[in-house]
Amino acid sequence: CSNFQQLLKSNDVSKKYQAALEYYEQEEYYRASQLLDQVTDLMVGTEEAEKAQFYRAKSHYMQGNYILSNAYFRTFYTTYPRSPFAEEAMFLQAQSLYEQSPSYQEDQTPTLTAIEAYEEFLVRYPNSERVERVNIALEELYTKLDRKDFNQARLYYKLRYWRSAAVALNNFLQEHASSPYAEEAAFLRLDAQFRYAQESVPDKQEERYDVVLDYFQAFVDTYPESRYKRDAERIFEGVQEALGTIRKTANNQNS
Amino acid sequence: SQVLNRPTQQPSSIDYQQPRQYRIGEVKVSGYKFLDPIALTSLTGLKEGDMITVPGEDISRAIQKLWDQGILGDVDVTAHTEGDVIYLTFNLTERPRLSNFRFSGINKSQGEALRDKVPLQKGRIVTDAVLNSTRNVVREYYVDKSFLNVKVNITQRPDSILPNSVVLNIHVDKGDKVKVGDISFVGNEAFKDKKLQRQLKNTKEKRFYKIFTSSKFNRTKFEEDKEALITFYNSQGYRDATIVSDSVYRISDDRLGIQITVDEGQQYFYRNITWAGNYLYDDNYLARVLGISKGDVYDQVELEKRLTYNPTGVDVSALYQNDGYLFSSITPVEVRVDGDSIDVEMRVVEGPQATINKIIVSGNDKTSDHVILREIRTLPGQKYSRDDLIRTRNELAALGYFDPETIGLNPIPNPADGTVDIAYSVTERPNDQISLSGGWGGPIGAVGTVGLSLNNFSTRKMLDLSEWKPIPSGDGQRLSLNVQANGKYYQSYSFSFTEPWLGGRKPNSLSVSLFKTIYRSGGYTDYYRRLYGVEDENTSNSRLNVNGASVSLGRRLSWPDNYFYMNHSLSYTQYNLNDYPLAVNFRNGTSNSISVVNTLGRSSIDNPTFPRRGSQFTLSLNMTPPYSLFSEREDDDYTFIEFNKWMFDASYFINVAGNLVFNTRAHFGFIGNYGDGAIGPFERFRMGGSGLGGGNIFVGTEYIGLRGYDDETVVNNLNDQSLLSSGGIAYNKFVFEARQLISPNPAATIYGLAFVEAGNNFGSYKNYSPFKLYRSTGVGVRIFMAAFGLLGFDYAWRLDDLPGRADDKRGMFHFIIGQQIR
Repeated sequence: CSNFQQLLKSNDVSKKYQAALEYYEQEEYYRASQLLDQVTDLMVGTEEAEKAQFYRAKSHYMQGNYILSNAYFRTFYTTYPRSPFAEEAMFLQAQSLYEQSPSYQEDQTPTLTAIEAYEEFLVRYPNSERVERVNIALEELYTKLDRKDFNQARLYYKLRYWRSAAVALNNFLQEHASSPYAEEAAFLRLDAQFRYAQESVPDKQEERYDVVLDYFQAFVDTYPESRYKRDAERIFEGVQEALGTIRKTANNQNS
Repeated sequence: SQVLNRPTQQPSSIDYQQPRQYRIGEVKVSGYKFLDPIALTSLTGLKEGDMITVPGEDISRAIQKLWDQGILGDVDVTAHTEGDVIYLTFNLTERPRLSNFRFSGINKSQGEALRDKVPLQKGRIVTDAVLNSTRNVVREYYVDKSFLNVKVNITQRPDSILPNSVVLNIHVDKGDKVKVGDISFVGNEAFKDKKLQRQLKNTKEKRFYKIFTSSKFNRTKFEEDKEALITFYNSQGYRDATIVSDSVYRISDDRLGIQITVDEGQQYFYRNITWAGNYLYDDNYLARVLGISKGDVYDQVELEKRLTYNPTGVDVSALYQNDGYLFSSITPVEVRVDGDSIDVEMRVVEGPQATINKIIVSGNDKTSDHVILREIRTLPGQKYSRDDLIRTRNELAALGYFDPETIGLNPIPNPADGTVDIAYSVTERPNDQISLSGGWGGPIGAVGTVGLSLNNFSTRKMLDLSEWKPIPSGDGQRLSLNVQANGKYYQSYSFSFTEPWLGGRKPNSLSVSLFKTIYRSGGYTDYYRRLYGVEDENTSNSRLNVNGASVSLGRRLSWPDNYFYMNHSLSYTQYNLNDYPLAVNFRNGTSNSISVVNTLGRSSIDNPTFPRRGSQFTLSLNMTPPYSLFSEREDDDYTFIEFNKWMFDASYFINVAGNLVFNTRAHFGFIGNYGDGAIGPFERFRMGGSGLGGGNIFVGTEYIGLRGYDDETVVNNLNDQSLLSSGGIAYNKFVFEARQLISPNPAATIYGLAFVEAGNNFGSYKNYSPFKLYRSTGVGVRIFMAAFGLLGFDYAWRLDDLPGRADDKRGMFHFIIGQQIR
């Protein structure tokens, strides 16, 4: 311990660097990073600078300091694109961003940055053995974004703001037609629009029920075997009945 | 390798008109002394065997990469070619690198502040450009602090330990502070110098009596002030006013003089105001909303305000903007200028109505989407309304999770399909509060408090360990725990939990709270003995336990308007006495209180920390079942306590100017009984002091502050000792406060205040007289820190004598902890 404290205070760059490498090998990443933080900038332009920078980034990554490791890996692979560590650095930089991606209910800026970094990696190293891991991570992040949007749209449904729910779910379906949440969204859109039409003033009801019919058609075409099939059919029957009544009254008034 | 048969071509020359590809034969560096050639070569990013285009970006990018390291003084490249092969040599000049720097001539804290500001980086070379910008940064720092004569001198010396390194010493000679000594005007006839000086908000003369006014000279602020001066002239109808010249000159070593020459021009008035392009509203209606008529002083600023956005009143654009006409605009055009009269035509473009399509929320890195979205008043499918946007901002501010000053509202129109997306951006701020305090709690001695209140808690995330950072949060639930104790004599525990949207469907809140308090009177001081009329010395076994629980449901109303809310709660309190003299004839036994509290309130304040406008009022009725109406009861039968309590509080905020806000409040409270029995000893009002109850909160007692008087001493008849001990049954209190915001910083919002207040607390309805009040006045300061809540300090001066206490000190200090309602 006291040895480490002495090293920290010492002015000898190469001694610190050597000690840092030893700590790194022994997986004592906290100590390694402390020492490397002090010497890396002073070593720029020397032969060991490349390794020092990479180890500094990685020892922060191993400790879970993803904000720092992201920045250090990035500097590393832009500075040494030809380094044997470059591919790993680029991958771990994306990985550092992935680790910072928050739960789907929070602001997703970090998720978008992580997606960008993974995609950059795929362009740069299309034949890397890490491609599969990257694709899995990308899938996960895209699903998270889907889930966020779906959840926001569904909130209006939960709050029983039918018109807003119909608008928001419609937007969701236009943007994420192939999402795993699309089926549920399509059903909720149908249901929300139906309830919205039911609550509307008589003047507007007919045109709004017509939209329900469009949504029903789209729903059964896309999901013929849906688990919401029964409920959707019930809505369809409800619309038919309502439209029947409306048209009958209209005819009576006309005649 | 000359090509002899083509003598016109220079050997290894490169044709700069014709980019072509070469293969790199070798990359070399020259001129290095301390640095490693292999490392430098690899830094170029170029390698033997690479294909590069010359001329092209490859070489310049390599040079840039070497530059970016900040370790070289100069880089250039020489190349020669052999057929398709190119040989590159990077010629470098090394410069000494910075190993350390220090400041002299200034104190440590300013050195620390500057250390973060200067562009110096260890390990990088020291260039003239870096030195110059360092000098400028230091200079500007001190000029900003009025040291206009500051001198900065930077010296270099080689570092004795690291080779090729230098240490910088930055010496600062601050010189005298220079302040503005005199501001004068030339050419002003319509307004006096004094009036014009007042328009220069950030440039002021130094005067010994202006203690709070800064008289620094700041160039950028002075330029802004000159614009403000012209704005002032324009607002008075002087449409053509200009500043002809201004000069800043030295009066003495530490004083500047400023002279501004103005050309006022002529004062103009409105003549005819006409409207064009308006189909939705007719001319007369628009003119009435605008509220400017023929003969008024021509004031462009006021006109702009009344047309586009008036935060304190009506404006014409609101007619359109609140009804979906997002694309509407009104442009005033001067159609005719005749002597001092101006004809204005208002050109209205109404445009189509926009429907809200998407709501985008960003910046919530802690709070969940649904907590924010459910407060947002602009809903997909609705017509756009500017009022809804502003209301949403107030609602988001009221949550307390975000910095109210930085809530962003950004409508993004899509004119193609007549819709608008609305983007809200928020900045999270910490709002969990921890309180740890120890203090002298008046009659019972030292009291320690540990409190924790989590205002954005999430029970849903409690089971997920990865969400503990450090506590599960983001779902808008509130949890608070409080423990207060003074060893053996007084202990109090309380817990409460609130879910603001029970079921997630409607804003109906549910709160549950539990508490337990233990008093042992062995610790009574003489004061308390006198207060409670305890005669015997042997009170060491005397004990009072108070246990209670309450459940309450709150909901927002949409009628009479949607600022109203209602709250219903059911609470149960049990008093357990063991030789404890709570009332005459009541020392032992158990007493139960079951009551229902109904509260009706309305709150429309714009910001919970420092409200600028809006009002709040609550009316609450707390009542037990009327046992005595159904059965015979003795006055001293306390098995089931009986009372009804009416409370009314009103508070009104008005923004008078800038950050100056007036707050007027009125508070009333009455306790009654059913039938004509006496009112029991449990529910009382105690008035006086800061209203904190001396840290010893007795259940069933409302503590009401009255600054300038000691805690709990204000009762209309102090000579009656039994009254003082039991408190009052009716009170009223009126407060006027002027508040000035000093720092809006969300980490520490600070405001100063001056107040006048008056109140009284009555022991019986027989001597209730609402205009017999004890008055006081004073000044104070409040600081709101996210982690501690509101803390304050007041100095109050009482204006009246309490009966029997005329000799008490007139002036006193009060500490205020937490937001005081009454």
